[in-house]
Amino acid sequence: MAEAPEDPRIVDNPFFVLGVSPDASRIEIEREAQKLLGMIELGFVDAQTYATPLGTRPRHAEAIRAAVAALRDPYRRLVAELWARHAPSDGDAPAPAPAPADERRGAPGARARLGWGG
Amino acid sequence: MADSLFVGIDLGTTNSAAAVFDGERVTVVRNAQGGTVTPSVVRVDRQGRITVGTRARRFVESDPVNTATEFKRLMGTEQTLAFEASGARKKPEELSAEILKALRQDIADQVGVAVDRAVISVPALFELPQSAATSEAARLAGFSRVELLQEPIASALAAGWRAEDDPGSWLVFDLGGGTFDASLLETRDGLLRVIGHDGDNFLGGRDFDWVITEHLAAQLEVPLSRKNPDHAAALRTLRLAAEEAKIELSRAERAQVTLPAPLVLDGRELAVDLELDRATVERLALPLYDRAVEVCLSLLRQHGLGPGHLSKVVLVGGPTLMPTLRARVAARLETVIAEGHDPMTLVAQGAALYAATANLDGRAATEAPAPGRQLWLQYPAVSADLTPHVVGRVLGADPPSTLQLTRGDGLWQSPRLAVGADGGFVTSVSLVPRRASRFSIEARSAADEPVAVSPSQFTIVQGLTIGDPPLSRTVGVALANGRVQVYLERGTPLPARRTFTHRTVETVARGTEESLLRIPIVQGELAEAHLCRLIGMLDIGGAAVRDTLPSGSAVEVTLELDRGGRMSARALVPALDQVFEHVVQLLVPDADPAALEESLREQRAQLQSARTDAFRHGLMAVLDKLDRLEERLAEAERDIDAAHGGDADAAQRARRALLDVDAAMSEAELARRWPALEEKARDTQIIASSLVGQYGNAAEQTLLAEVMSAIEHARADRDAAELERQLTLLDRLALGVYQRNDEAWINYFEAAASDISRASDLPRATKLVAEGRVASSRGDTQELRRIVKAIWALLPDDAEARRRGFDSGVR
Repeated sequence: MAEAPEDPRIVDNPFFVLGVSPDASRIEIEREAQKLLGMIELGFVDAQTYATPLGTRPRHAEAIRAAVAALRDPYRRLVAELWARHAPSDGDAPAPAPAPADERRGAPGARARLGWGG
Repeated sequence: MADSLFVGIDLGTTNSAAAVFDGERVTVVRNAQGGTVTPSVVRVDRQGRITVGTRARRFVESDPVNTATEFKRLMGTEQTLAFEASGARKKPEELSAEILKALRQDIADQVGVAVDRAVISVPALFELPQSAATSEAARLAGFSRVELLQEPIASALAAGWRAEDDPGSWLVFDLGGGTFDASLLETRDGLLRVIGHDGDNFLGGRDFDWVITEHLAAQLEVPLSRKNPDHAAALRTLRLAAEEAKIELSRAERAQVTLPAPLVLDGRELAVDLELDRATVERLALPLYDRAVEVCLSLLRQHGLGPGHLSKVVLVGGPTLMPTLRARVAARLETVIAEGHDPMTLVAQGAALYAATANLDGRAATEAPAPGRQLWLQYPAVSADLTPHVVGRVLGADPPSTLQLTRGDGLWQSPRLAVGADGGFVTSVSLVPRRASRFSIEARSAADEPVAVSPSQFTIVQGLTIGDPPLSRTVGVALANGRVQVYLERGTPLPARRTFTHRTVETVARGTEESLLRIPIVQGELAEAHLCRLIGMLDIGGAAVRDTLPSGSAVEVTLELDRGGRMSARALVPALDQVFEHVVQLLVPDADPAALEESLREQRAQLQSARTDAFRHGLMAVLDKLDRLEERLAEAERDIDAAHGGDADAAQRARRALLDVDAAMSEAELARRWPALEEKARDTQIIASSLVGQYGNAAEQTLLAEVMSAIEHARADRDAAELERQLTLLDRLALGVYQRNDEAWINYFEAAASDISRASDLPRATKLVAEGRVASSRGDTQELRRIVKAIWALLPDDAEARRRGFDSGVR
């Protein structure tokens, strides 16, 4: 499974990046982010990685800021909560990320397969 | 240690202002004349001496050739301004630097310390080259570090700063001398959030003056025209008279427009004795007010709000003092105007508050470090949270063993904190609501002896905060198929960085000058490159590459923006192990009147055909929209006329109008395609729900439900743009599921194989197809995926699309 693409919705999930629960309040999220940014700035080793169901990731200041911004937006927070709650654990096959470059190719054959004729 | 001092500067088109914040109170800085606003006017006299502000403004009328105004509008362009008497030529950023220098001096005079760090506000819709020019102006003025802040966020921060919890959404209506911004905001839990903003980069107070001037000019014995360069001086004089009359009319019902001396035209004297009444001015200005209100209404609509849904409107900018404007805005947005804010200095006040949020102390740390163990501290200078964290580290070996923090009022004290072996500690502190809390730090050694530390105290202010500044316009790379790969979306917190891998479309031959791979960087909200603004070009030329780069090679492009919105770009070519960083930083293009005219003609023709079409289909709403575009084009035409007369600013405005009309026309086109779009929506929904229903996981199913409901909303609102957006999302979701299936890749392979006659490298494509057949028969789908992607890389994009993608060489 080493080659399997990593789903950014899971490995970059703001809740994992900040290490807070999907139930965290707005103020808790801001507080945690502010603390983590401080720790990264001062080179605290234990702030430099975070855990996800797909393994440990490096944590950067940018990712923290992006995560807070995502969770401030109610819709994006909702989506992030979904993925944080439904994330497959280490053993499951991770869902591959959709490849944006392929979008214009459409889904040939999908209609036929659904019995639509062409 | 002295208290902090935070500096904010509003560098305006017509007027500028500065404010300082000491952690408790915001104070507006007064200039040498005692005023709170400094006119953004620079004069260079015969000896090359420079005067700014009120003293320079006196010469606007009597000596216009040596006095520059409104140069902010030209920031980021190549235009220079000439001062005839001294023969000096100055760039807009050099003139802005003169204003900043003067304000910096005023601050020093008022607070008694020199400052060299500040927050400077810029319009929300400022484009990247304009922001870069602003930073340059600050550097020229001697600031060592500045951060840029969008004006609407500054006003919002200032307006919301002392407000008690004020739930609901509110709007900042900022009409300056040269730009209009509308921002929709909410405050919750002490955090200010910009929900959205919009605006018009070329709508401002001076447009009001111009419509009045044109009205007056038309009544003269010899009607003056902005087309005619010989009329420029007379028009300028008339405009000042118009401005005065306008101000008079905010109190009186009618005003007399007279000039101390008659206008001189072709050696002939032209007497000016006209009357202006309030009703006429209102009638002339109404279309401009309404243009601003339309921007607000569209902003509200985008966020599912209508008139009457706002709790208040905060007005910013000199022109908002006009009583009719206030009444019109309140009536059409069905809300109240917030009172008690100074529309002239609100932006500067907000910038000063933001400097505190960003922990940008105005004074550089010049004092020698105090004796004691050095301490690095990380804490928010302003915090909405009553119990924020403080993170610190004691430098050097053998740190003290414990630390304790005590609040200045003595009512709170931290426990004794154990310091880690590496000198690190983390704690939370308790703040006094809506005040500045000062904490002192006391360290003790393992033997419980006091240890001196430096700094030994710090201050945190409790109040409204705002997160990192959001990016105001989406930034991306134009592709060879004419689309845009979005890198950083509007609203992304800055600083930000993003990397994508592209494939080259053509071979770049080593050593050939004409062989060039272009990576166009664009800014804008639309998915089609030609509707966005080209802001930079990263070129990889044959002369620079180490080796010939075959088509289909990978190029990793990284775009990076700092907090102030300055952009850098980098392309890494792994095959060459080479990095290209030279970005041709484009300026706001000089709008050439002939090119503008050509574009105007094209758009008129397009508009005409769209109108015929809409009429045939009975689309009244579309017709209505097209009428407004017609008006906009008529305005653009007047501006192009003025551009022929040498008015660079009018040329920029015309360019902007033409871009807007173009974008609006593609939206109108979407509306026209509504029936076809609805059908496409039905098809996509059926396919997507089957695919996701059969193969999707739980999260994908939930998202499907979300998008489906958004599609229903868009359909009910007949919002074509929103429907397209949601359909793209749905497509993406379905494709993600679809492409997980092996069968999908067999289908992709067959489709690509049938298309290889168009491949750029036919022998290679043929070979890939043969390999694909083998892989397919073996059932090796992993290999098949690789092959399909390799074939795709060889298939061409159409030439027209590529032209519209600024001749991009990547996809």
